[in-house]
Amino acid sequence: MPEDAGGRVLGHTTPRCACEGGAVAEVDAGEQDRRARFEAMAPGLVEPLRRFLVRRTDHATADDVLSETLLVCWRRLDEVPDEPLPWAYAVARHALANAERGARRQRRVAAKVATLDPPPEAAAAPDDGPPGDVPLDEALAALRADEAELLRLWAWEQLGPSEIAIVLDLTPNAVSIRLHRARQKLREELRKIEAAAGHEGSRGRSRS
Amino acid sequence: MSGPDASFDDDPQLRERLRAVDPAASLAPADPDRVARLLEATMSTPDRDTTHDTGQHDIGQHDTTQHRDTGTTRRPFARIAGVAAVLVIGGVAFAATTGGDDETPPTAGGDPAPSVLTLAAPAEQGAGARCMMPNADVLAGQDVAFLGTVEELGADTVLLAVDEQYAGEEADEVRVESPADRMELLVGSVDFREGEQYLVSATGGEVAVCGLSGPATGELQNLYAEAFGG
Repeated sequence: MPEDAGGRVLGHTTPRCACEGGAVAEVDAGEQDRRARFEAMAPGLVEPLRRFLVRRTDHATADDVLSETLLVCWRRLDEVPDEPLPWAYAVARHALANAERGARRQRRVAAKVATLDPPPEAAAAPDDGPPGDVPLDEALAALRADEAELLRLWAWEQLGPSEIAIVLDLTPNAVSIRLHRARQKLREELRKIEAAAGHEGSRGRSRS
Repeated sequence: MSGPDASFDDDPQLRERLRAVDPAASLAPADPDRVARLLEATMSTPDRDTTHDTGQHDIGQHDTTQHRDTGTTRRPFARIAGVAAVLVIGGVAFAATTGGDDETPPTAGGDPAPSVLTLAAPAEQGAGARCMMPNADVLAGQDVAFLGTVEELGADTVLLAVDEQYAGEEADEVRVESPADRMELLVGSVDFREGEQYLVSATGGEVAVCGLSGPATGELQNLYAEAFGG
């Protein structure tokens, strides 16, 4: 009985399709090949996807959407491009949008989860680091959602325009242009906010 | 602009300022064991699209000697079980479906709202009373008669998936509900076991015993075939 690189004996898995008996070994070989490809690819996706999700939702939803995203990657393994991460981000983005649509009904539950398991923004600030960046938060909030998302993909996921293009299903040129404008707009908002804060002193903005 | 990706390095200062507020910056890496388990679970998740095919295929393998179905059943597995029922009604000996074999019970498909017929266990005196010899005429006079597979066996409930119905209003499932003591007598009398196939008849909303309900084995199959075989 043939063995794959991992030493697993082929042929033990239950055939998952309506195959005739003689094709079962072949199917298992195909299945083992799929598993090997997924096992080579997926570990490299988990950490970036996890971070991508934690940046955009609460931990509980992030866990759910991570599982869902990996499942899509597994089921659509044949469509995954050589550079899988932007493609996987796109899948995660869709899965997250779906999850959040469904979660609107359960907003109270989600709020409770967020309280029990606060998102890292609340807990993150290391002692020696800056205690958040209130003007930046405000400036980002002043941008349109798609502009802010472009900037996050650029700065947090550290993607280039051609990668962002895959995530957002745009052309790289469109991404370059929009990213350029989004950065301009963010700088502009920051100038306005910081000019206003300059008059009042920074405590005036972060009074709490 | 020299190329699409050239703008990545525009304004590194702004990028660093954004990175400084990255909510994931302090996120510890995931536990590798947990990641491995997640990946394994991902690869083990059955494909929703083929679940039904798999079920049909598995069941079909048990019945490779059969070659036709009735066209009247409502679920994938019931169609296969119905093959056996055709043979029952036709009076053909069919030892392969005796209650004692070790076939995996077929599980129900995903029909949204199965119709359920509710029956009761017979009253105590019925279960303990003397029985006359079961015969086809008495059986043919029953209100309800069907071939079903026990899906759930509880203290006061037996749930059967209907594989083929011979008399009475058609139902996808039959639920026999009675107080535990009455149910105990019925279960003992009919010898209900989870996953096995039974021929069951009922009159007046109560399951008929006295040899009119029992495991779908040779003698009872012949009796049902005689009563409902047309």
